[in-house]
Amino acid sequence: MGAPIPYYPVNEFGPLMKGLVIGGVGILHVFLAQFAIGGGMLLYHFERVAQRGAGDEADTEARDARTFVDGYFKVLVLVSFVVGALTGVAMWFTTIQVGARTIGLMLDEFHWLWATEWVWFSIEIVAGYAFYRFGPRLPGPARLRLLGLYAIAAWMSLFWINGILSWQLTPGRWAEGGGVWAGFFNPSFWPSLLFRTAVAATLASLVACLVINTMELDRARRAVLIRRAARFAAPVAVMPLLALWFFAVLPEDSRSWLLGGSMAMTMFVGVAAGASLLIGGYVIVGILARRLYINAATAMLLLVLAFGATAAGEFVREGARKPFTVRGVLYSTSLTPAEVGRLRVRGATTDDPYPLRGEARYPTPELVRGAKVHRALCDACHTMHGANALVELTRTWTDDQLRLNVAKLQRTKGFMPPFAGNAEDVEALVQLLRWEAAGAPAAVPARAPDPAVLAQIQRWLDEVGTSPAGGAP
Amino acid sequence: MIWPFTGDAAVWLALYVLVFALHAAFVGYVVIGTAYAFVQALRRAEDPTAERIRDRLPFMLGCAITAGVAPLLFLQLLYQRRFYTANLLLGPRWGAVVPALIAGFYALYLAKAASRLSWRRLALGGGLLCFLFVAWSWTELHLLMRDEPAWRELYAAGTRIYADAGVAPRLVLWLGAMAALFAAIAVWWERGAARRPIAAIALAGLAVATIGAGWLAARGAAAPDAAHGWLHLAIAATAVTIGAWIWTWLRPDGAGASVVAGATAAALLSGAVVREAPRLALLEAPRPAALEAGGLPVFLATLVLGALAIAYVARLIRAAR
Repeated sequence: MGAPIPYYPVNEFGPLMKGLVIGGVGILHVFLAQFAIGGGMLLYHFERVAQRGAGDEADTEARDARTFVDGYFKVLVLVSFVVGALTGVAMWFTTIQVGARTIGLMLDEFHWLWATEWVWFSIEIVAGYAFYRFGPRLPGPARLRLLGLYAIAAWMSLFWINGILSWQLTPGRWAEGGGVWAGFFNPSFWPSLLFRTAVAATLASLVACLVINTMELDRARRAVLIRRAARFAAPVAVMPLLALWFFAVLPEDSRSWLLGGSMAMTMFVGVAAGASLLIGGYVIVGILARRLYINAATAMLLLVLAFGATAAGEFVREGARKPFTVRGVLYSTSLTPAEVGRLRVRGATTDDPYPLRGEARYPTPELVRGAKVHRALCDACHTMHGANALVELTRTWTDDQLRLNVAKLQRTKGFMPPFAGNAEDVEALVQLLRWEAAGAPAAVPARAPDPAVLAQIQRWLDEVGTSPAGGAP
Repeated sequence: MIWPFTGDAAVWLALYVLVFALHAAFVGYVVIGTAYAFVQALRRAEDPTAERIRDRLPFMLGCAITAGVAPLLFLQLLYQRRFYTANLLLGPRWGAVVPALIAGFYALYLAKAASRLSWRRLALGGGLLCFLFVAWSWTELHLLMRDEPAWRELYAAGTRIYADAGVAPRLVLWLGAMAALFAAIAVWWERGAARRPIAAIALAGLAVATIGAGWLAARGAAAPDAAHGWLHLAIAATAVTIGAWIWTWLRPDGAGASVVAGATAAALLSGAVVREAPRLALLEAPRPAALEAGGLPVFLATLVLGALAIAYVARLIRAAR
């Protein structure tokens, strides 16, 4: 007997699968937070430019750089790190909705590092606000120090959170008992950190180009500022190498999903890579090499592409972890590998204390059981009729095919976890899917499962075992 | 060690109480400051105090939110199962605190920047509603965490409102306490007779908090025996706070404000322990992974560095203030 399995109430989000909900919040958060980080670095750079030419009336670039720093851009940074902070809290709450055990495990393992990140974030907030409020009245050295502190604190925030997030995908030596630092400095820590830093700089550069276009300067003076801001996007050139490094350290099975094993994930990789290449190509060839002017419309278009790349990239990062939320430790069903073995015997829902919402909708006890199995094992990634709908995914399968595919789930799709229930659970889920596919008729005669069918399902469950398909520990 | 800071979870609990108190101080300033500025806007009063408050509200909300992340972290270590279950039971209604805070944030900026009185009123009134929604949500979540027998029924019913009779008196107690916390901060930015209205707000707040506490006691809420020392400290500190506010009323530029600061801090910290006391019986046994997690020295070193950095920022901006 292991420790009791913690059961949490499960919420459904209608036709939206939970991955879309957390993805939506996560993408907004990552986009804003990375922009705030790059924005800090860029403000520091422009402030240095402004101070280099201080006192020289002929140095229009220095004056314009100062106008830029004290103008719109710092307001944008302020906006993004405020909303970035709040969407960070929203990420916590949303993760609880989607996988409470996952966020609990992350907290248990890394709470002191998370608290460390919080200290850096506090410094970022204080330095940022201090500059926002007092910057125009401060002498040059104080302005520079404040912006420098803000930029360092913002990047350190990324440093700490990156270690925790990358651990989910590549726990590395932590999985062999290596401790918190082995988990933090895991195989994907450095490529991920450097990649995100490059993204942050690029985003800041694109937003700066947009903002500079709104400044009341003649075109030639705006062009000078734009060329300076565009230099910040130069790290986009090394992003392909960083992406290759990231792919190289991925577990083999995760890499295979991304590179053709799962068409949906491969398409997201394609979108992220394509959008990044378009941005990189324009920045390197158009702005840096040929010194073209970038107008507001183009800057906005590149930003939209960057948002698309961020969105696709985050889906790739989430998808690559499948079938785990913490590789080798916790499946997307919020169960550990050991618990799967226990539930194969005990049943998926025997100990679940929560009743079904709207239980009266289901005309037979078997369908009630099926709905509970769906809630416990499928609901994290699937809906019944909406996004990634089970009814549609299985509609054309025969009954026996459906039984086989559910029982041998990790072989049906390599990125699915092993089925964490017994033969009766498989059959109840099969009957539920058929009933839903038939339009959920109100009257269905109660029936006892055929013992021969149950025996066949049990044989399939025994054959496939409880190990994941991808070779994870 | 002093009760309740004993056992394996002592460090988490101590840090939780500390950062919760810090969060509460900022929240008090934001909620009551917004209410004060709103009332003055409705009265069309030319009030420099309200202007100063409006000016500082966005920053103070930023501090409140940032300080609020830390207790969330320790809460998840101390009461993980209960906290997550209450989150899930309240579902999207609980999640709505985030958009409410974003809306409140920008409402405060609008109130700060708006030159038209009607916009200012709208922004302050809207912001206040957002913050009251968050206060109500937090109070419900706190009580629902404790009420395990209600979980199954609430889930089955699919309702997102936990209409417990304890919500209203706790809100009354907190609103009163928030007024006292607001005043303890705001008084430092006022001089002379301008401190008198602040003192009046504090005294009124303490009266409201006493009514809330009495209401809770009448409903059977009581601090466990082990918490009586902290309760007595909270009562004594509150009594000193009342005396110090009266002193501030009589001699606004005397040392009353300093006494208020010390006594309010003592009342807040001991009150935070008393608030926690009934929940301590529900404390979860620390999970081995959490107990063994490394990184505490790095956190402590960063904490010292962070304090120094923030002090350095204060020094940098002193010339401009």
